[in-house]
Amino acid sequence: MIRLENVALRYGRGPEILRDVNFHLRPGSLHFLTGPSGAGKTSLLRLLFMSIQPTRGLIHLFGQNVTRITPSRRADLRRRIGIVFQDFRLLNHLSTWENVALPLRVTGKKTQDYQEDVTDLLQWVGLGERMYALSPVLSGGEKQRAAIARAVIGKPELLLADEPTGNVDPQMARRLLRLFIELNRLGTSVIIATHDHQLMQQFQAPRLELHDGRIHQVG
Amino acid sequence: MTFDPNIPTAQTGTKELYSPVRPKERNWNTQSTPIVQAKTVTGNSLVVVISIMCFLACLTAGTVYLINQSAAAWTDDIASEVTVQLSFDQTTNIDDKLSKISFFLTNQQGVNGVRPLPVEESTALLEPWLGGAANLNDLPVPRLIAIELDRTSPPNMDTLRNGLKKNFPQAVLDDHRRWQSQIQTVTRSLALGGLAVLILVGSATTGIIVSATRSAMASNREIVEVLHFVGATDRFIAREFERHFLSLGVRSGLVGATGALLIFIFMPYFMRLLGGGNMTSAEIRRLLGTAALDMPGFILLGIVVIVIAALCMLTTRYGVYRILNSQHH
Ligand SMILES: Nc1ncnc2c1ncn2[C@@H]1O[C@H](COP(=O)(O)OP(=O)(O)OP(=O)(O)O)[C@@H](O)[C@H]1O
Ligand SMILES: [Mg+2]
Repeated sequence: MIRLENVALRYGRGPEILRDVNFHLRPGSLHFLTGPSGAGKTSLLRLLFMSIQPTRGLIHLFGQNVTRITPSRRADLRRRIGIVFQDFRLLNHLSTWENVALPLRVTGKKTQDYQEDVTDLLQWVGLGERMYALSPVLSGGEKQRAAIARAVIGKPELLLADEPTGNVDPQMARRLLRLFIELNRLGTSVIIATHDHQLMQQFQAPRLELHDGRIHQVG
Repeated sequence: MTFDPNIPTAQTGTKELYSPVRPKERNWNTQSTPIVQAKTVTGNSLVVVISIMCFLACLTAGTVYLINQSAAAWTDDIASEVTVQLSFDQTTNIDDKLSKISFFLTNQQGVNGVRPLPVEESTALLEPWLGGAANLNDLPVPRLIAIELDRTSPPNMDTLRNGLKKNFPQAVLDDHRRWQSQIQTVTRSLALGGLAVLILVGSATTGIIVSATRSAMASNREIVEVLHFVGATDRFIAREFERHFLSLGVRSGLVGATGALLIFIFMPYFMRLLGGGNMTSAEIRRLLGTAALDMPGFILLGIVVIVIAALCMLTTRYGVYRILNSQHH
């Protein structure tokens, strides 16, 4: 599913954020990605999402080498990946509903084909009342839930979530995590970057810990 | 870990996962907001500029078309008519000579009709050059005989010319061939000039659209980024921009073409208003025919609009691809 070999990363002429990162995740696995702030969790997720390229090493996704990838192949692969950004990245001029539907809309599907799915998912994450609100008027937690809904609406094979519970109360955090676990049971591989130790204790799952630019697998 | 009974499990399937409670009443809002907003892409000034470009293109194309039309009509007329010119000669009775030549010509093969022009008509032809002075009658005005040729079996001009020369040395046959080729040269160079103007207008339009595309992409940077994140292809993103530029092209094209059409319709009146008098409008008519566009002329303007709109759209598509290829998300 995901295989990294000797991956190193530096931004420009800055220090190496990641060095000699090696790991292999099987399809259908669920991992927490932890490490102190600035350790490179977001950077690692961006590598997996093919937003940036590693300085050294190889990255394999879905059995394909994606280290250097063409834009059109990347667009294809990204349709199989859902991502939740730390800063949400919702489009301000679209409603919550339209933001969540965006991954389906760009595939060229007809609105009627996914209308119900989007509405149902929004109900499920507790945004049934906020479906037609523009994203700037949503609260931080509401934006976060919209971002999560957008990431999972396409039933991705891989879900990358960056601090997905950073802005919600513990109860909503548990609810959202269950959504991830349900997806995982249906076959989606999940990586959740988080600082939330309480959450990690509640949901026992193997961890990838980032320290000094290296990965340590725990559990 | 403890599970909330309200939360579905894997056994219930995906559908159920997304929909534990399915509400009966639902407000289906199928109308979707454009991903790229028109106002961030095509401002009013852009519409004005492209309209002006289309106006100029239509004006040029229409004018060249009209000139070609009337030139074709001219050369057609000229081709079916030749004249014999008899220079003034005081010793002989010129009217007598005129009828003798006419009689000779009538019997030639390939001649349909012969009409000696009365002296008034000949002087009338000279009036534009010499002015309508009263003493024109006293001038040694050459006399003319108009010959209408049989277009289906035209005579051999050289035989006709030589026969005429042998019998009447003062008579000169003028078959207007020189005029014909001159008219053709003039219309051809006008058409080339028009083509050059069209190419310039096209290049300027392309240049404007290229920079407009670039600034549209810049002001929609974050949207493009998010589209890439959700797996949109470059083709999809280009289409989102193209739509606006196509509609810009069509709208501006129609405005420009309508403007040009009004000019063609009202040009004679404008000329009169500007103080040119009737003479000017007659002259325009001589150059541009009736100065009225016919059906193919309207179609030509339609084609100009379509070309402008297509140019806007394709330039944007190409521009978006180029910009996307030069950046990574
Ligand atoms: N685009 C960039 N250009 C230069 N440096 C960057 C860039 N993005 C991140 N960094 C640096 O890389 C390091 C790792 O950043 P990253 O965002 O991956 O950390 P993180 O583990 O996600 O932190 P946090 O828990 O605070 O989100 C930081 O020191 C950051 O300053
Ligand atoms: Mg981060």
